[in-house]
Amino acid sequence: MLEGLLVDLVPYGKAFQDLDHRWMNSEASFWSSGGERHFMSEAMVAARHAQWAEERERTGGGSGVGFGVQTKDGKPLGYFGINWLAPAHRLAMLGAKIGEPEYWGGGYGTDALLLLLDYTFDWLDVRKAWLMTTSMNARVMRQMEKVGFRLEVRQRQSALADGVWYDWLAYGLLRDEWAGRATLVEQLGLRERAAALGSGAK
Amino acid sequence: MIEGTLVDLVPFEDDFATYLETWMNEEAWFRAHLWERREPHTEHDVKKFIERMEKDERGALIGFQAKSGDPIGALIFDHEWPRVRKAEARFFAGDSRYEGCDEVLDALLMLVRYCFETRNLHRLDAVALPFDEAKLDHLRRAGFVHEGTLRRHIRWDGDYVDMEMFGLLESEWPGYAAKVAELGLQPSGLEPKPKPEKKDEKKDGTG
Repeated sequence: MLEGLLVDLVPYGKAFQDLDHRWMNSEASFWSSGGERHFMSEAMVAARHAQWAEERERTGGGSGVGFGVQTKDGKPLGYFGINWLAPAHRLAMLGAKIGEPEYWGGGYGTDALLLLLDYTFDWLDVRKAWLMTTSMNARVMRQMEKVGFRLEVRQRQSALADGVWYDWLAYGLLRDEWAGRATLVEQLGLRERAAALGSGAK
Repeated sequence: MIEGTLVDLVPFEDDFATYLETWMNEEAWFRAHLWERREPHTEHDVKKFIERMEKDERGALIGFQAKSGDPIGALIFDHEWPRVRKAEARFFAGDSRYEGCDEVLDALLMLVRYCFETRNLHRLDAVALPFDEAKLDHLRRAGFVHEGTLRRHIRWDGDYVDMEMFGLLESEWPGYAAKVAELGLQPSGLEPKPKPEKKDEKKDGTG
């Protein structure tokens, strides 16, 4: 388990998988997928879990690393992880979804991202982390800038959401640009935020 | 077959499949597949790649040849995303004599034409290494817009290098005929290669 100030990153086990059906059909998926509106039955979600498990078994871990995000008192909030790890390039593509909208904008996702970056750089010896979001997602764009990611590519009109074209944006963070979790925790005031919420802090 | 100005697009079979056993181990191939780990490809790997592309509902492998019938290289559109009508455009000159020649540019224009005018796509993505002058030149002349640089993104020959990212929107495409008229494509005049030996004509008993 990776212990943060507002959240912990834990295995994406049954407690999270049981919520996936609700999360996949929610606004959270609309934002994380760049405008997709899923209509996924419980059977479809179960089949996807089985497919992921089979891939992990077949490849000895799969092509990424997934975590469940939960509050300090154990409430599952969503997923943060490396969606695609390319060892030959020491490159990690990250992905995230906070399934519970009442936890958007409260620092939970940022705390999870700092834990994930710490893990990615310090444990997996990755050289660059990157991720993609869309130009409609102002919250994630602000988060990227706060954490030190740089906007590298703007793929024009490559996302469609509710009939409007948006851009996919690629953000990158090189290891030598990473300020480190401890520095960013202080800069972003996460300790004060955790104290205000009464969360256990590390 | 779809006829272009300097090249024709054809199904990827016969001589193309034979040539691919060489092409898939050469520089042009790896420059068109930047993400992939550089490793040798056996005849079995080549066969499996062709089979995978033949079954791929989100992509296609297309051969392009000179007007003489001389196979030059391959076009690949891949990762087609139906909801947003976009795909990734890749191309390479397997026959390195043609690198930088207008035959390859015409093949790229024909791929764009096929994607926009036949498949009704809205957008094409493309990528090139910053030192791949021939590919950068072809992309720019075809009208692709540089949309950014993935900094020090991949390992390449002992260093971490950038990836230059391009996009072309259907609304920016003037149509194949107008584009060809604008560019004034010139044939290279290269002589056709001797045709490859058929596997079943070999005398070693393995055919």
